[in-house]
Amino acid sequence: MIARRDMRVRLAARRELSPSCFLLELVTDTPFEAQPGQFGMLACRAGRDPFLRRPFSLAAVGARGEGTVCELLVKEVGRGSRALRELAVGGELQLLAPLGRGFDLATPEGGRLALVAGGIGLPPLLFAAERLAAAGQPFDLFLGAATAAELLLVERCQRAVGAVGGELVLATDDGSRGERGVITEALARRWASGAAYATALACGPTPMLAALTQLARSWGLELQLSLEEPMACGVGVCLGCVVDGADGRRVTTCKEGPVFRASELAARWWQ
Amino acid sequence: MSVDLSVAVGTLRLANPVLSASGTFGYGLDLVDLCPPEALGGVVTKGLSPLPRAGNPPPRIVETAAGMINAIGLQNVGVDAFCRESLPQLRQRRVVVVVNVFGETMDAYVQVLRRCEEEEGIAAYELNVSCPNVSAGGMEFGHEPQQLERLTARCREATEKPLWVKLSPNAPDLVATARAAVAGGADALSLINTVRAVAIDAERRRPVLPRVFGGLSGPAIKPIALRMVLEVHRALPEVPLVGIGGIETGRDAVEFLLAGASAVQVGTATFRDPAAPLRIVRELEAFCAAEGVGAVQELVGALAWP
Ligand SMILES: Cc1cc2nc3c(=O)[nH]c(=O)nc-3n(C[C@H](O)[C@H](O)[C@H](O)COP(=O)(O)OP(=O)(O)OC[C@H]3O[C@@H](n4cnc5c(N)ncnc54)[C@H](O)[C@@H]3O)c2cc1C
Ligand SMILES: Cc1cc2nc3c(=O)[nH]c(=O)nc-3n(C[C@H](O)[C@H](O)[C@H](O)COP(=O)(O)O)c2cc1C
Ligand code: FES
Repeated sequence: MIARRDMRVRLAARRELSPSCFLLELVTDTPFEAQPGQFGMLACRAGRDPFLRRPFSLAAVGARGEGTVCELLVKEVGRGSRALRELAVGGELQLLAPLGRGFDLATPEGGRLALVAGGIGLPPLLFAAERLAAAGQPFDLFLGAATAAELLLVERCQRAVGAVGGELVLATDDGSRGERGVITEALARRWASGAAYATALACGPTPMLAALTQLARSWGLELQLSLEEPMACGVGVCLGCVVDGADGRRVTTCKEGPVFRASELAARWWQ
Repeated sequence: MSVDLSVAVGTLRLANPVLSASGTFGYGLDLVDLCPPEALGGVVTKGLSPLPRAGNPPPRIVETAAGMINAIGLQNVGVDAFCRESLPQLRQRRVVVVVNVFGETMDAYVQVLRRCEEEEGIAAYELNVSCPNVSAGGMEFGHEPQQLERLTARCREATEKPLWVKLSPNAPDLVATARAAVAGGADALSLINTVRAVAIDAERRRPVLPRVFGGLSGPAIKPIALRMVLEVHRALPEVPLVGIGGIETGRDAVEFLLAGASAVQVGTATFRDPAAPLRIVRELEAFCAAEGVGAVQELVGALAWP
């Protein structure tokens, strides 16, 4: 397990990506590494509002000088994410990371990886994509959103996919960019025309994950899902973030996940 | 100035007065890298029942102003798994272990104690009596003094180790339940457990939690917890108390000691800062050094009553 730390991080830059989403570049003197799919618990503001830290997937982690630079891709939905939008560059926050179990990026013999991201589910898959690109492991990336404006960091995704000769497939609900419809339909079309995926890695809204689980089952495709549940501690001690596991146990999303193989989750996930 | 941090909770001596609270520190081994359990006065385990329990369906937690509401539903691995999987490591690390016990019947409490009595390395027991008594129509054990005295007496027969009873702030008469626990043979009382609470989603016009009610914890309940510690201490000045509720800093801990607690437990604060219990030990030490307090024990019950 990669050592986790509770670190002081400084906001080095913020880039607006859409009316509701932005990218944070956080730097720290602490050296740390992470696996794609792992997350951090971020105290979004000093004081007690909001009271609890917020979980955010690590979108990129790399060395900078003696320390580390880490990127988060955030959608503004409430008080915590709003505080992050308002934080002045140079401002400091507390980040506990890396946490949880990330994706297994090993490519099975003779198959490709499909990375599937819906909306703000992109961050862990962006991290995975850039890691795979650096390692020269081939993959295709499926990126879906409601509208063209909500397709985030397309050029950066294209660079990662392009580095290993893969395909970037875009889809929007309104057809304003890429294929019209949901991203799982785009994946199904590729599958029907003979794309031989062995494993899919996915993060996105629950309906997308449910649809994907059903498809993967009928195709015999191995599927790893990154789940989002409300969290208090992020480290497995409060039992607030559980989902129903396949064996009838309730499993913690923060510690046993957030990445689960579809086969580890109870059937209600795809029903 | 060096400060003597050690305290006594009845016959149990602790190296310092800060323990982790039940349900907020797992079984004591989840945060060894961030908050070494052996550096604390002790660790109170997640509530243990005779058999594993799945707890309530999600969602289970809601954030509130300066606190949170939880409805975990006492999910736990069962006493046997705890004894086999966690206790040996806790023993090896020389952690002071307080086993938190609950059950839906009196027999269930006794069963947990009996299983634990087979093991080395348990310092004390804490009875969570905020659990519905199935055989008495679902009324919580901690709400009815006669039930509570019987339950405590049954548990008292099962062990000679220190027995703490954890009082519920939701009982109709707190001092009466405190007296009942002591009459049943409790060595100390810990207080408080979470405060019964509700969160409502205004747009959906529904309760946020599927079971509607949950337990409020965090700084929001601290003044209530302090009041309760003070009331029980004044009614039963000889009985050792362990103060719990919204403690986030060394100063908060001092306030509980002054109100009459011999030790404190840190719960929800650990979710915001995983090293909180350890930080509180350090802050307590710094407070004492700054205030010229040579031994933390001097603070216990030292409130100047106007
Ligand atoms: C492992 C993990 C990784 C995550 N990664 C990212 C990420 O990379 N980028 C990102 O923008 N978000 C991510 N999230 C979601 C993020 O944690 C929440 O959006 C955030 O906690 C909201 O905080 P807030 O204070 O802004 O909103 P709040 O005021 O807490 O909530 C505002 C509204 O959003 C809803 N909401 C809160 N949390 C969630 C959630 N987890 N899923 C869906 N709805 C929610 C609430 O019900 C409420 O209606 C992740 C969540 C998890 C568990
Ligand atoms: C998520 C959560 C789980 C808890 N589980 C238990 C439990 O299993 N047994 C118990 O006696 N108390 C349990 N408690 C109560 C705490 O031990 C403590 O009494 C209460 O939270 C007040 O302290 P705090 O404000 O410092 O959190 C739990 C509290 C929380 C927040
Ligand atoms: S968030 Fe506390 S156990 Fe997962």
